[in-house]
Amino acid sequence: MICLGIESTAHTFGCSVVDSAGKILSDARDVYRAPEGKGIHPREASRHHIDVSSETLKQSLDLAGVSMKEIDIIGYSAGPGLGPCLRVGAVVARTLSGFYRKPLVPVNHALGHIELGAMLTGATDPLVLLVSGGHTMMLVFSQQRWRVFGETLDITIGQLLDQFGRAVGFASPCGGRIEQLAGQSSGNYIQLPYIVKGNDVSFSGLLTAAKRLAENNKLEDVCYSLQETSFAMLAEVVERALSFTGRKEMIIVGGVSANRRLSQMLEAACERQNSRFYTCPIKYSGDNGAQIAWTAILDYQATGKNVQVQDAHVRQSWRLDTVDIGWRS
Amino acid sequence: MQRSLIKKGAEADIYMIEWYNRKAISKIRTPKQYRHAELDLAVRKQRTVHEASLMSAAKLAGVATPFMYFVDPARTEIVMEFVEGPSAKDALTTSLCNEMGRYSAILHANNIIHGDPTTSNFILSEKGLVLLDFGLAYYSERTEDMAVDIRLTKEVFTSAHIALEGAFESFAAGYASVAGEKRTAKLLENVREIEQRGRYARVA
Repeated sequence: MICLGIESTAHTFGCSVVDSAGKILSDARDVYRAPEGKGIHPREASRHHIDVSSETLKQSLDLAGVSMKEIDIIGYSAGPGLGPCLRVGAVVARTLSGFYRKPLVPVNHALGHIELGAMLTGATDPLVLLVSGGHTMMLVFSQQRWRVFGETLDITIGQLLDQFGRAVGFASPCGGRIEQLAGQSSGNYIQLPYIVKGNDVSFSGLLTAAKRLAENNKLEDVCYSLQETSFAMLAEVVERALSFTGRKEMIIVGGVSANRRLSQMLEAACERQNSRFYTCPIKYSGDNGAQIAWTAILDYQATGKNVQVQDAHVRQSWRLDTVDIGWRS
Repeated sequence: MQRSLIKKGAEADIYMIEWYNRKAISKIRTPKQYRHAELDLAVRKQRTVHEASLMSAAKLAGVATPFMYFVDPARTEIVMEFVEGPSAKDALTTSLCNEMGRYSAILHANNIIHGDPTTSNFILSEKGLVLLDFGLAYYSERTEDMAVDIRLTKEVFTSAHIALEGAFESFAAGYASVAGEKRTAKLLENVREIEQRGRYARVA
């Protein structure tokens, strides 16, 4: 079975062809770049997606060496995400599905991160840390669903990094730039709020404090302290959840998993708890069509679930822990 | 008796020791190498001191907690009474949930926020339910802080204990038996508010 996956939840418009053996035949993407100091403007991003959609789609088919006729099913990211952006992907998916008469499978974007990460690393029953601009969640699979063992009480780790970065004039996404500057710090740690509540974290106070620090401290040191504090919070709750659940595997997925310092800390946390640490390959840590295609295949093969064109909606708010999973036990 | 390691927790190493001729627990918060040394020491010290002081305060308020024997902030060590029994995590029933709710309400009535009211921190001893691990505890009289505390327990029920039906309802009933229906309803409303603030939770 060959699936075309279409991703358009936020800044990335991506199309990818994946087969049911898990081989990623193509992964075409075009990313909207916000002006420096600005975030993603949903309307501007959706216009970008409209502009690049046909070229990205063509690229993904060409790279995979298949035609639309050879595609068996079409998966699209139905949420959660930015409405205007999601709708672009959904329009493309509906059009192709209607014209070529292919089953259409809506996919939860967050689930895509987890399933692709698990497939690429071989993790079978892990504690998942999903860290991106849209999510900061710890999950364990149990009784048909991914259950939330801990999450952020306010903003996500991606928002923390992006909003701090934008305040000091970087362009979104800012994680890479912050990591680079942090690496240039001499290790001068400035204390910041460290907020852990049970297995939950809170970053909003940390963001305010870090912005304030940036006014009269070396930016390298503030980036360093911001990373050290927020990542240590995440590593601590991961350790707590590992200790509680006794899971022997842990995987980090989502855009922020590209950060090496975070991986390093989590690896140390896993070692303390005798758990194996997996990280999604950097190439697939950010949003992409392959995560959608692969999850659509899993879902379609297990349940045959698909929707009619007129029912292929998008949901800006669609919590991962409300999705029933038919392919895991 | 030999000093023996009985558990390597997420935060501390737990040793069985002998303390003036009785069995006792030594809980030492060991450094986390991945955490910046300065931050690490500050966190460990603060939690050791908070745990010692709030565990005793909780006992005065009428919640069963281990007796404190000794605190050493410099070594981030606490020596306390050894409480024997399985944790509620491994033996959870709705009547235990009810009792957890009662404990939670007593603490809150005394402005004590536990901070980590998960099922693994309740021990089912011969003398009844005993609450442990006050490392994240603090004082607050804010309704919001109490609601966050309640939501943490709810989060554990809906993840680790999803198979046990009526867990949170029993907890809420236990809470109401101490705090009263009106106060409990107000807190549960606040819990819902916090849940709605969660990512992508606005539209049910």
